[in-house]
Amino acid sequence: MTYSVQFGDLWPSIRVSLLSEQKYGALVNNFASGDHVSAELEQLKARDFVNEAIFHREPEPENSQTAAPSPASWACSPNLRCFTFTRGDVSRFPPARRGSLGLMDYYLMDAASLLPVLALGLQPGDTVLDLCAAPGGKTLALLQTGCCRNLAANDLSTSRTSRLQRVLHNYVPQDVRDKNRVRVTSWDGRKWGELEGDTYDRVLVDVPCTTDRHSLHEEENNIFQRSRKKERQMLPMLQVQLLAAGLLATKPGGHVVYSTCSLSHLQNEYVVQGAIELLDNQYSIKVQVEDLTHFRKLFMNTFYFFPSCQVGELVIPNLMANFGPMYFCKMCRMT
Amino acid sequence: MSALGRQVFDWHRLSPLTWALLTRPTRQLGEQKRTTAFLLRKLMTVSSGGGLEESSFVDPPKCARKAEHRTGLTQCLLEKQRTPVSQENVVSSLLDMGFSDVHVNELLSIQPGTHPQQMLDIISELVLLGLNPEPVYVALKKSPQLLKLPVMQMKKRSSYLRKLGLGEGKLKRALYCCPDLFTMRQRDVDVIVRVLKEKCLFTVKQVTEILHRCPHVLREDPGELEYKFQYAYFRMGIKHVDIVKTDFLQYSMTKTKQRHVFLERLGRYQTPDKKGQTQVPNPLLKDILRVSEAEFLARTAVSSAEEFEVFKKLLAREEEESEGCMADEEEEEEEGREEEQEL
Repeated sequence: MTYSVQFGDLWPSIRVSLLSEQKYGALVNNFASGDHVSAELEQLKARDFVNEAIFHREPEPENSQTAAPSPASWACSPNLRCFTFTRGDVSRFPPARRGSLGLMDYYLMDAASLLPVLALGLQPGDTVLDLCAAPGGKTLALLQTGCCRNLAANDLSTSRTSRLQRVLHNYVPQDVRDKNRVRVTSWDGRKWGELEGDTYDRVLVDVPCTTDRHSLHEEENNIFQRSRKKERQMLPMLQVQLLAAGLLATKPGGHVVYSTCSLSHLQNEYVVQGAIELLDNQYSIKVQVEDLTHFRKLFMNTFYFFPSCQVGELVIPNLMANFGPMYFCKMCRMT
Repeated sequence: MSALGRQVFDWHRLSPLTWALLTRPTRQLGEQKRTTAFLLRKLMTVSSGGGLEESSFVDPPKCARKAEHRTGLTQCLLEKQRTPVSQENVVSSLLDMGFSDVHVNELLSIQPGTHPQQMLDIISELVLLGLNPEPVYVALKKSPQLLKLPVMQMKKRSSYLRKLGLGEGKLKRALYCCPDLFTMRQRDVDVIVRVLKEKCLFTVKQVTEILHRCPHVLREDPGELEYKFQYAYFRMGIKHVDIVKTDFLQYSMTKTKQRHVFLERLGRYQTPDKKGQTQVPNPLLKDILRVSEAEFLARTAVSSAEEFEVFKKLLAREEEESEGCMADEEEEEEEGREEEQEL
């Protein structure tokens, strides 16, 4: 990998983190009973990083609005509670347990995966599309917000979609699944522009990528091996097509978050720029990238961010906080 | 005379000397040089006259320390009176060998029940192996049980150590690090030497060098020693010559693994390929293992102390878990995790 060029002096610390055990966050299941889950997790010396970011942020010195949370903070999707251990703490969460309602009490995931969902900024009554939903952590998070009027969850792979179904089954009560009109499909995400153009308020495009963390570990069937070079080269093109489809499926004025778990420019910024260009050139649709600087600052105590992204934000793994990689970029469809 | 001696001194558990013992040679044949030095020193000591004074035996503070001690010294005194020549003989021999008054007194009180001749024999063996008085004193202080060793065993072990190349003054460090060098079982020493020679394929010269520089290996579990070598040779790609030169075997496996794996995962160390080449030059071993942790982090790893601390914890856990789990169990666990987690 040529990441040493891209990241320079940061690369060794990223590399050692990618090769070491990753850190997890515990997404609290709001549908399972009781606040005892939060209390239990706090007992373990974990804390809810979302809560800390949004409500305990020190006000900026220049900004005199100390009373109300700053505008960016309520742009975060609401009702998400996710516990992590503090920097340098390598404790593990015990496996989730089934509560009295027969649902699991929390979902273990890479805490950085929650950021794209937070950034998407769901509001009550939104129609939501999760274009590449499996295995389902982000989908679950979208439902936790309680904001989804409709949630369409899609993944091309049927085996992965069935995993998604299992997650929903274990975490979300039937009535909520019905109420939210959760629809799970296994169609080709690239077709969404035609299928459901201009439909959604919020769209999440969490594309298939080289999952760098796993690629570094596995020798076999590694996407970086020579025999899969073509596949690797085709990936950015697929990603552009998926993002474009997601943008086309968004209502004008709606928002899209594009995310990957790759460190590569080619799968991140280039794809965003490529999709925006494509929409402009082929469809005359204007898409604008939203600045996430303020959002990033909210979470700087929990995650390490790469300082030099052209567009979007990138969580980089560090031994002190071994989350990520997670790239995300928020866009607004203007026309 | 013997019977009388036994009657009187029975409760001191001291076997009486016989005149025959007095005349027994205390040095091996061929140590002519030593004898000469001995005689020379004897001459010099006599002229200074210091060591032969009685007062050194009744030094009050030393006497007062323990009853045992007092018993020993009293015993010596009585013994001295009874067979004055033998005790004096030991003392003067020791002084001639270069031991200070203070040391002589201490040596005599280390194992008060020891037959003076026995003590002299043991000490002589050590001196013959090229040890100076100070290290001998230190070794005996550390391991008083040495004085109880049958002289035959002492001689046998000495000759074995000489064969291994640990005579001629190379013994000091080994004895310091491995006080039971003489008292440990022959087969335990053998096992280590065999691991080095037959399993690790070090040359005889290299084995000597290792025992001289890293005497701790003698106290290691043979299996672990072999593993340490394999780690160096196969995992890190270090050749025999360098393993010896850099004292690799003296560092604990934990420390070595921590620093090496850290470097490897940082991308700063690569196992050489079949041709012995790496894409980037590996840091020198001394910059990995010999330096302090602070220097290692600053210069070699170029990383922070806090990251290294976390890494050590993670590595320890990995080691624990790879030992504990069977391969299938591990696979199952991973699949289970994947079910639950978002990647």
